[in-house]
Amino acid sequence: MKDKRLVPFAPIGSFFPGTPRMKFYMSRLFLPFLLVAALLAGCSGGAQPSGSGSTTAEASDTGLKPVEGKLKVALLTPGSVADSGWSKIAYDGLMAIKTELNAEVNNQEAMGAKVTDAMRSYAQQGYHLIIGHGFEYNAPGVKLAGDFPSTVFVSSSGGATASNAGAFRFYLEQGFYLAGQMAGLMSKSGVVAMIGGDDVPSIRSTFKAFKAGAESVQPSIRVIEQFTGSGADVPKAKQATLAAIDQGADFVIHQANQAAQGVFDAVKERTTSEKPIYAFGANENQNGNSSGVVIASAIIQPKAGFVALAKDVQAGTYKGGIRLVGMSDSFDGVPAIEFLVNPALSSKIPTDVRQQLDKTQISIIGGAFTVPKDEF
Amino acid sequence: MAALEFAANLLRYAAPVSIAALGESVSQKSGVINIGLEGQMLLAAFAATLVGSRTGNPWLALLAALLVGLVFAMIQGFFTLRLLVDQVVIGTAVNLFALGLTSTLFRVVFGQSGQLVSLPDLPKVFGPFDLGMVLLLPLAIGITWFLTRTKPGLALRGAGEYPAAVESAGYSVMGLRAGAIAFGGALAGLAGGYLAIASAGSFAENMTAGRGFVAIAMVTFGRWKPIWVFGASLLVGAAELTQFLLQAQAVGIPHQVFRAMPYVLALAVLVFVGKGTSVPMALGLPYRREK
Repeated sequence: MKDKRLVPFAPIGSFFPGTPRMKFYMSRLFLPFLLVAALLAGCSGGAQPSGSGSTTAEASDTGLKPVEGKLKVALLTPGSVADSGWSKIAYDGLMAIKTELNAEVNNQEAMGAKVTDAMRSYAQQGYHLIIGHGFEYNAPGVKLAGDFPSTVFVSSSGGATASNAGAFRFYLEQGFYLAGQMAGLMSKSGVVAMIGGDDVPSIRSTFKAFKAGAESVQPSIRVIEQFTGSGADVPKAKQATLAAIDQGADFVIHQANQAAQGVFDAVKERTTSEKPIYAFGANENQNGNSSGVVIASAIIQPKAGFVALAKDVQAGTYKGGIRLVGMSDSFDGVPAIEFLVNPALSSKIPTDVRQQLDKTQISIIGGAFTVPKDEF
Repeated sequence: MAALEFAANLLRYAAPVSIAALGESVSQKSGVINIGLEGQMLLAAFAATLVGSRTGNPWLALLAALLVGLVFAMIQGFFTLRLLVDQVVIGTAVNLFALGLTSTLFRVVFGQSGQLVSLPDLPKVFGPFDLGMVLLLPLAIGITWFLTRTKPGLALRGAGEYPAAVESAGYSVMGLRAGAIAFGGALAGLAGGYLAIASAGSFAENMTAGRGFVAIAMVTFGRWKPIWVFGASLLVGAAELTQFLLQAQAVGIPHQVFRAMPYVLALAVLVFVGKGTSVPMALGLPYRREK
């Protein structure tokens, strides 16, 4: 499934706040006309960057009250919730809200021109919380927040907020940094690889963190980066991984969604007892993968972010703003971001490597060290 | 040994497109363009996944894929041959239907939020080669022989050039085209099955990722000659593999440059070999007996 998070028109659409025909403005076809129109209008006013909207987050009378009766939560994703990656995380979070808070939930795939319509119809149906999973849902949410003051609009990442609209973002870079450090400490060949599906900002950001982690312990390490262009093309993910291994890579991390099996199978095909090659799981716990080559996984536990958010909405205490959910945030003792070692392969990890990783993790949780991340 | 490994890897990667393109070339020779190839492959890939993951038997999985490809091609054939529906329109409908159906069924069977699926691989029959890879070249030769050296082959080519003449010679154009569609569908099914079982060893929603359309392009690229179609598929497949090798070596060059490479190569080759017309004259045209 093609990930639409890259599509650039959502922020551009927000340059024209208050226009009722947002969905037309957000169509790809209209983009050139929009640019021309912007030039003709001399860019007079209106061109306020969407990222600076946080000024509106005043703690005034928000119109948000504790929810009476059943909490209703809606989720919009840019792609299939069966993608074993980005959209699946949100779906799992929604399911956690359903079971933990006994909420009524609904979800749909909506992107581009459909976003505003989908959000508005959920709001009209009386949903209390509408989550858009991606930065492109940020601007439409903030725009609709004025029309529906008793509905909360939250997007996964994004910069604009209002009293009843905002963003939250998982700090998966923390997990990728630890994976990078482990790869850097253990790589015998001095070459590690990252295999991506779609080239989107969220994936790029995690790859940068992995690279930073590897270079923090082995400055001269070579980090191969490959993109196949599709999170569904398993054979391509496999071939990209084989090519990286032929270049000497002995640790491979992925952001290939459903195509990840191709990455693991390629590693399995080339690993030998003299020259072992390992893979990292990403997004979800893939340590138990049948290939048997996943040494650890950098995972998102959506519960911590999603249920905490829904609880705030239920209690009427949601305040807007941008929430960063990382290793130090947890729900029921489960941190939002975890780096889990595969117990079946833990004997392959030297003690000093474990100690170093524990040290890094402690300083990340304690706030002494901040893992680099991109804003998107 | 390394060359053998590369050949096996290339065949494993390029086989789905090659098999589908060989079937499509027969179908196009008879005058039917199968735009629904992508959808038939995807449906077959899912069928193979379902059967393969349940039974653990790759051969049963391939058989299921073949049957699914055949059945959907025949349904499509009923629309194009009997009802004379526009071939491009019905093909597009099949593609949309296939994506929706396989995605929905995948979620029903493997959970609403999906999971990574691992499928049983085909056994190797000769060094690193499995049966599918070994049979590819004989298949291309066999199709060529049938089309150029047999009477039904000649009639089939006639159905794609000037169907009225074939009809007056006592052949049934509809029968010839139905046969070609069935053959193309069966190969599309095998291509989808091989994609899931051998090339990927897994299933993902929309996993064909354009391979059906690439296969249709390969038929044009190979000038409707099965051997050339096979060669074109291998060439583009090899360019894809080389692309990944270069991407892994180069630093600082955007990956999009490398990913465009196979298509640039295909275009460049077309510029040089694309002279003259070898398109079946009646390609895509519905045939009515009484005119």
